[in-house]
Amino acid sequence: MFDLISEIGQTLSNNKLRTALTGFAVAWGIFMLIVLLGMSRGVVNSFNDSRMSQGSNSISVWGGLTSMPYNGYKDGRYIGLKQDDMGVIKSKNRSDVANVIGNLSGSANITTPHDYITTGYNGVFPSELPSRGDKITVGRNINDADINQSRKVVILTEKNAAILFPNTKPEDVIGKRVSLNDLSFVVIGLINPEFGQATYIPFSTARMLASNSDTVDELKIEVGDISTMEEGEQMEQGVRNTLSEIHNFSPDDKKAVWIWNRFTQHMTMDRALSILDIVVWLIGIFTMLSGIIGVSNIMFVSVKERTHEIGIRRAIGAKPRNILVQILTESIAITTLFGYIGVFLGILVTQGLAFAFKDTDFIKDPTVDISIAIKVTFVLVVAGCLAGLFPALKALKVKPVEALRDE
Amino acid sequence: MEMIKLRDINKTYPGAVPLHVLKGINLDIAKGELVSIMGASGSGKSTLLNILGILDNYDTGEYILNGQLIRNLSENRAAELRNRLIGFVFQSFNLISYKNAIENVALPLFYQGVSRKKRNLLAMEQLDRMGLADRAHHLPGELSGGQKQRVAIARSLITNPSVILADEPTGALDSRTSADVMEIFRQLNVDAGMTIVIVTHDPKVGEQTNRIIRISDGLIVN
Repeated sequence: MFDLISEIGQTLSNNKLRTALTGFAVAWGIFMLIVLLGMSRGVVNSFNDSRMSQGSNSISVWGGLTSMPYNGYKDGRYIGLKQDDMGVIKSKNRSDVANVIGNLSGSANITTPHDYITTGYNGVFPSELPSRGDKITVGRNINDADINQSRKVVILTEKNAAILFPNTKPEDVIGKRVSLNDLSFVVIGLINPEFGQATYIPFSTARMLASNSDTVDELKIEVGDISTMEEGEQMEQGVRNTLSEIHNFSPDDKKAVWIWNRFTQHMTMDRALSILDIVVWLIGIFTMLSGIIGVSNIMFVSVKERTHEIGIRRAIGAKPRNILVQILTESIAITTLFGYIGVFLGILVTQGLAFAFKDTDFIKDPTVDISIAIKVTFVLVVAGCLAGLFPALKALKVKPVEALRDE
Repeated sequence: MEMIKLRDINKTYPGAVPLHVLKGINLDIAKGELVSIMGASGSGKSTLLNILGILDNYDTGEYILNGQLIRNLSENRAAELRNRLIGFVFQSFNLISYKNAIENVALPLFYQGVSRKKRNLLAMEQLDRMGLADRAHHLPGELSGGQKQRVAIARSLITNPSVILADEPTGALDSRTSADVMEIFRQLNVDAGMTIVIVTHDPKVGEQTNRIIRISDGLIVN
């Protein structure tokens, strides 16, 4: 083995410039592959991240304006969602719907003896925060008892809590009272969301604040046991059909209520991301292919130039297998050596990009992991074999009589 | 004992006009002989050398080398026999330019799978025998013609072959170094009892061998 390596070392260093130029093509190809993979990974990571924070198992519905006349009604009519819709949707789409929750929002002045903030609040059900991916950092979530008894309890963001209760540790904010629209609320929990500074109170409490209105701003339907894109779309249409019956609009009217189907969006995104992955591999592999063709070309030239040498080797006892192995290992040596230079530089660059994009949302952690390195090694060895194969077969055709021919 | 025995060897190169090059060669060379094969160009002496060196096949006849019938060998078997039975010395030395003297000499042992340490030891022995121990780590380009040919002879000897086949070994050398090289062959023949076949067109070289085999128009003439 050592002999083979020193043999290859000699032939490669015998043609330094040629080796370097060929190697550059391979290194560039693999470098591009790594950087592209890293970038796509970054985009995927950032998508996944924002998907996690939205949750992927719910459909949200907001009221809208009808866009077509229906049942004697003109178009342009406002469709407002009612709290009763929740129960109807749940009972009519029993198979697909796990739960329906509502959101009733408003604006509030929240004051303490220290300071005040003006903020929007959301009246929500217990499952709202988990479905948004917001974790309670201190204290507890809104529970069923809060809803049933319309308790005046509130969940604040850590940032708002720090304004309202300066110099107080987050744990000590729990149980403190704030004044919300001149009513006294108890702080039960804190959250630290990635976006926005929303305040949450129980749905029933929000309803009370809105003078017992029966409207709801947003319905959120948590999907049940469905797994395909088609089922997701069917479920969306089911919800639309149910609402069209209640509110008298055409089931084909896409603008009467606004529906955000996170479930099908999630699946579309999954598909898009896997396509992105495939495209990146394709681009990378084709870039590499040009490098491989370069290596193959060089190996052809090398075999041609060394016809006499191969003849001599054959004459003094090299078997065809020896020649084949020599050419193939030379080819694999060039591709892997320079391939890894490309991998190394590629990883350097992706790490640099990771640092540069550290504070942005578009690309997150654009680096490649060890499984990619293993795949790349595999690709390199196969590539080296392919690049060396035809030149090696050509070398096999060199007869030992060549040794007697004068150069 | 016969080292080389050729019986009615025929060789035709196919083509639009088939070329019948060897027309029934009969030849015996005994162990320990130093012979030369002489002939004009086109006489078939190169083809004969190729067949003797197991570099090429013949059509009909029988070639027995060191008691072994050489016919219809696979490429692997031919390579193995060349490696073990035959030491080649070429007109243009045929050293590998990017390998130094000792690596060139050791190369046949590389194909036998001999360890690096052992083959370098043996190669050094052969170079020493040729008086080139101090040139062991020089590249061929740094050696004179005579030195290169002595390296090539060292390489041919390293596998301890049955026969040395030399193709115009002095063709690229001046008369003084030619004489030196021929002296080496003579010594190998006398001291070590080595069987040596030299193909040449130079009468002066032929004179220094024990026997001259003349080939003309595909036949041995004597």
